Amino acid sequence: MRIGRSLAIAAGVAGSALTPSTLIAETKPTLPPYAGAYEPRTVDERGVWMQADEDERGLRDSQFLINDPALSAYVRAVLCRTVGADRCRGVRLYIERVPAFNATMAPNGTLRVWTGMLLRLRNEAELAAVLAHEFAHFERRHSLAEYRHNRGATDVMAWAGLIGGAVSSTVFNAALLSIPAFSRAEETEADMLSARYIAAAGYDVRCFADVWSRLMDEADATALGRHQRSRRYDRVAFFASHPTNLDRAIYLRDFAARQPIGGDTGQDSWRAALTPWRAGLLADQLKLNDFGGTEYVLGQLGADGWSEDLLFARAELYRTRGNPRDLVTAADLYRQAIAIDPAHVESYRGLGLALIRSGDAESGRAALRRYLDLAPGADDAPMLASLLS
Amino acid sequence: MIKLWAAVVGFVAILAAPSAAMAQEKSAVRPGFVLKPGSAKILLFRPKISVGAQSTGGMFEPNADWTAQARENLSAALDEAQAHLGNRVVAAAEPVGPAAQTLAAYQSLFSVVAESVIEYQFFKGNRLPTKKRKGEFDWTVGPGVAALGQGTGCDYALFLVTDDQYGSTGRKVLQVFAALARVPVAVGVHKGFAGLVDLRTGDLVWLNADLQMGGDVRSQAGAAKRMGQLLADFPGRPIVTEPSSEGK
Repeated sequence: MRIGRSLAIAAGVAGSALTPSTLIAETKPTLPPYAGAYEPRTVDERGVWMQADEDERGLRDSQFLINDPALSAYVRAVLCRTVGADRCRGVRLYIERVPAFNATMAPNGTLRVWTGMLLRLRNEAELAAVLAHEFAHFERRHSLAEYRHNRGATDVMAWAGLIGGAVSSTVFNAALLSIPAFSRAEETEADMLSARYIAAAGYDVRCFADVWSRLMDEADATALGRHQRSRRYDRVAFFASHPTNLDRAIYLRDFAARQPIGGDTGQDSWRAALTPWRAGLLADQLKLNDFGGTEYVLGQLGADGWSEDLLFARAELYRTRGNPRDLVTAADLYRQAIAIDPAHVESYRGLGLALIRSGDAESGRAALRRYLDLAPGADDAPMLASLLS
Repeated sequence: MIKLWAAVVGFVAILAAPSAAMAQEKSAVRPGFVLKPGSAKILLFRPKISVGAQSTGGMFEPNADWTAQARENLSAALDEAQAHLGNRVVAAAEPVGPAAQTLAAYQSLFSVVAESVIEYQFFKGNRLPTKKRKGEFDWTVGPGVAALGQGTGCDYALFLVTDDQYGSTGRKVLQVFAALARVPVAVGVHKGFAGLVDLRTGDLVWLNADLQMGGDVRSQAGAAKRMGQLLADFPGRPIVTEPSSEGK
């Protein structure tokens, strides 16, 4: 727990004091020895695996899974390239349709990837980093260690709570706080092991820190949009299970700075695999009703140029907020999307609705008529046709 | 983290009175529902069985061996108990493809509905206004459940759930010392519920939920006793004297 954290910081300080030539020799990525196919051994381990197996039975048949062979094969190939073909055989991959940034690993090798993460990552190296982080939890048996730690800590809490008094209360609090601290130490370990994996696989290590920087910016944008106070990144909350995103960005950048420059970002293969999915992922993101955060995510995705699906998503974001000025912005964005792709059907629909709502009924109806011509069988065709009569 | 908070909340809960479960009703039948012996075929879905220990601090310690034993014992006990149910129970085959999705969705839905019944009807102090009429038992998982029974020739679906956490030695010692300080500490969790769903309408026609069940599911005799309690007031069962319905 505390020891793990302070060791991580000490390593960073010592590293920066060394000369560059000794640095590279000293920090050459080393990976844990590979143990082959694994069966749980102790009572505790078999117990947590059993629970994970039961959960996986339900997950396998979940309606929220995206069972697309091409997408699954791509994500799996990235994992296998990163951690090695032998290691990745112990993992079953599930892509869940959840519009938030996360991936999780169960003790038995159930790897869950959320679609919100696929929307936000920018290249294959970033995906490799996240997958390797989850794999590191599996490889290091973190769930089991955490379970044992928590059991010990709650045992101490039970006795301390019963005995009472000032000393006991200190012991109780120490045991309670050791639980999230233990979890944070494991997260840090997984981050560092992940960085070593992606470095060894030839990916650009610097990408991993960028993920956390962007997540902080997005959280700030969300908070701003909702008129809330943004959270702080310079200190850890007592019960936080993960280090702050700022901590993670700092130590990962520190590690990357000590690696040789270069590496593959896998930009092209990432784009080829994810582009067919982007419109659907954006549609889920829009339903979160998070104007500031979504605007930030769109801005990040549009950094390399605005395509019709991004313009359309941004137009929908403004149209659904629905202030009179937003409708003007939305109509303009729909027109830009149509300019890029005159066959972008949904843009005609949005344009028509935005214009009618803005008082320009004639042009609005024309756009809707165009939508109905292009997509006569659409689900909402009868409803929209009623707007034309 | 969720497990952690459950443990912390559980720890706090042991300081409160643990008698809430006592005040609960345990079973109900949909008004007007009768099941004549020999009139129906019942489809049994893979029971949810979880067995383990309870640590000193109240955390659940899953045990794979105990769970495997309990699954075997409870299955044998159900075969035995069938003779007294008056209707035939057949185990459902594990489906693949879209049927598996439908089943997973309905199993989750059944758990949610059953938990809602326990929370909002069986627990009198928390009863919903719409569930207050005497003798009322009106819960459903919807007619879409018919898809589960297609091709099986079954009229009803039986769901079984058990959750056992046996108190560890540490927990028992804690209980003794806590009792000296007049702090009640509960040892062990033994919950189970059984429900019968009409495969044509989706109505929940019978539910038996007991938060303090007897019978050690790790042994054959205990599992037989547990199954007897789970099916104690199964609708339409012929009246027979059986050893399993005695006290816990």
